[in-house]
Amino acid sequence: MLLLKFEELKAGEIINYTGGLIVMRDAAHKRIKEMKERNEKLPVDFKDKIIFYAGPAKKPDFQAVGSIGPTTSNRMDGFLEIMYQLGISATVGKGKRSGFVAGLNKKYSKVYFVTPSGMAAMLSQKVKKHTVLAFDDLGTEAIQELIVEDFPLMTAIDVNGEDIFDIGG
Amino acid sequence: MKDDITRKLTEEIKKANEIINYRSENFIKNYTGPFDSEIRENIKIAREKQLPLCQDTGMIEFFVFLPKNINIDFDIEDMLNRSVYNAYKENYYRYSTVKDPLFERVNSKDNCPPVIHYMFHDKKNLEIKFLVKGGGSENLTSLFMLKPSSDKETVKKTIIDYIKENGARGCPPLNIGIGIGGTSDKALMLSKLALTYDFDERNEKREYAEFETELTEELNRLKIGFQGLGRGISVYSVHIKQYPTHIAILPVAVSVDCYLVRKGSVTLEI
Repeated sequence: MLLLKFEELKAGEIINYTGGLIVMRDAAHKRIKEMKERNEKLPVDFKDKIIFYAGPAKKPDFQAVGSIGPTTSNRMDGFLEIMYQLGISATVGKGKRSGFVAGLNKKYSKVYFVTPSGMAAMLSQKVKKHTVLAFDDLGTEAIQELIVEDFPLMTAIDVNGEDIFDIGG
Repeated sequence: MKDDITRKLTEEIKKANEIINYRSENFIKNYTGPFDSEIRENIKIAREKQLPLCQDTGMIEFFVFLPKNINIDFDIEDMLNRSVYNAYKENYYRYSTVKDPLFERVNSKDNCPPVIHYMFHDKKNLEIKFLVKGGGSENLTSLFMLKPSSDKETVKKTIIDYIKENGARGCPPLNIGIGIGGTSDKALMLSKLALTYDFDERNEKREYAEFETELTEELNRLKIGFQGLGRGISVYSVHIKQYPTHIAILPVAVSVDCYLVRKGSVTLEI
């Protein structure tokens, strides 16, 4: 269920998000792209999902997931249009993205969020549930689902293509 | 002695991953801006729950300084491997090392092997320094082979332009290491070694020390800020290490470390 009205979010705005996130990063993106090119059935339905570029540390038994935080989003830029075509609604990561991402956000009406980086012990406290969905063999790079509560997000590129990293510089 | 150093190194690696170093903490305490309460909460939670401050618990990069005339009667490489193995197996860290870089990229599942640089020094002790090097900051490493006739201003512009364009991706405020001279590989290694220095340690040569201070001030004028969001300082400190070089070259290497500055050292009299 979508709790966010993406079109209303403005670049620079901070929200606390409660809901689902799909964790995936470099290796899983590469695999999804290859499977799609071979017309294979994908292991996950990405429709309306928010992708979180991350790979958690080892899970302690006293919490749902290990330390977790965003990785550099710009490495996933080349996969972004494919993911938009698969129906994802937004992405979460860290740092400035390539120039063309603002255009893609406008075209597909999608949002890019940043979440605090290098603060993974704190972010892991916001995760209530963790499930591995696919590509278990990739370990921390597997596709995973999180249910989060009050997870801090800042709109970095909004649906109009406004980019906080451009506004500042 | 081997077991003793292994245990000390394992402890130091744990400390670097979980306890914020006090020099960074002083800057973090004074920060006001986006996610300022989160950054302080993270430090508290990591300490209390023995969780890593960042999920990217890095690759360990060792700098081993050996006394010139002393034989060491144990396998140093095995000892370094073991200290990494123990630290990553015993704690809630992430295994971030793949065995083959290009083809298989299968995780080694113990964060081994570390990267090791061996050097000699004039002291009688064995000194081991290390960095916990995350992928985000490591991807910002860069080498510039400048013209030998370049002056300080050219070097400064090269460094500032590079950090201006890329600094936000390295989890700022950054600690910056600069290697100047030697050959290309020597400059890169020196830029990494420079990251092991504390913020207030200055180059022993006056003109380099002044250049470090000048770079720190000018880089902070870029207003990259905490998290690259424009508020607070951009750079903690800049450290330069230089080495004699060839008449035809001027290598300048830039390495950065993220705001956590995870590092440590162990020294042993032998």
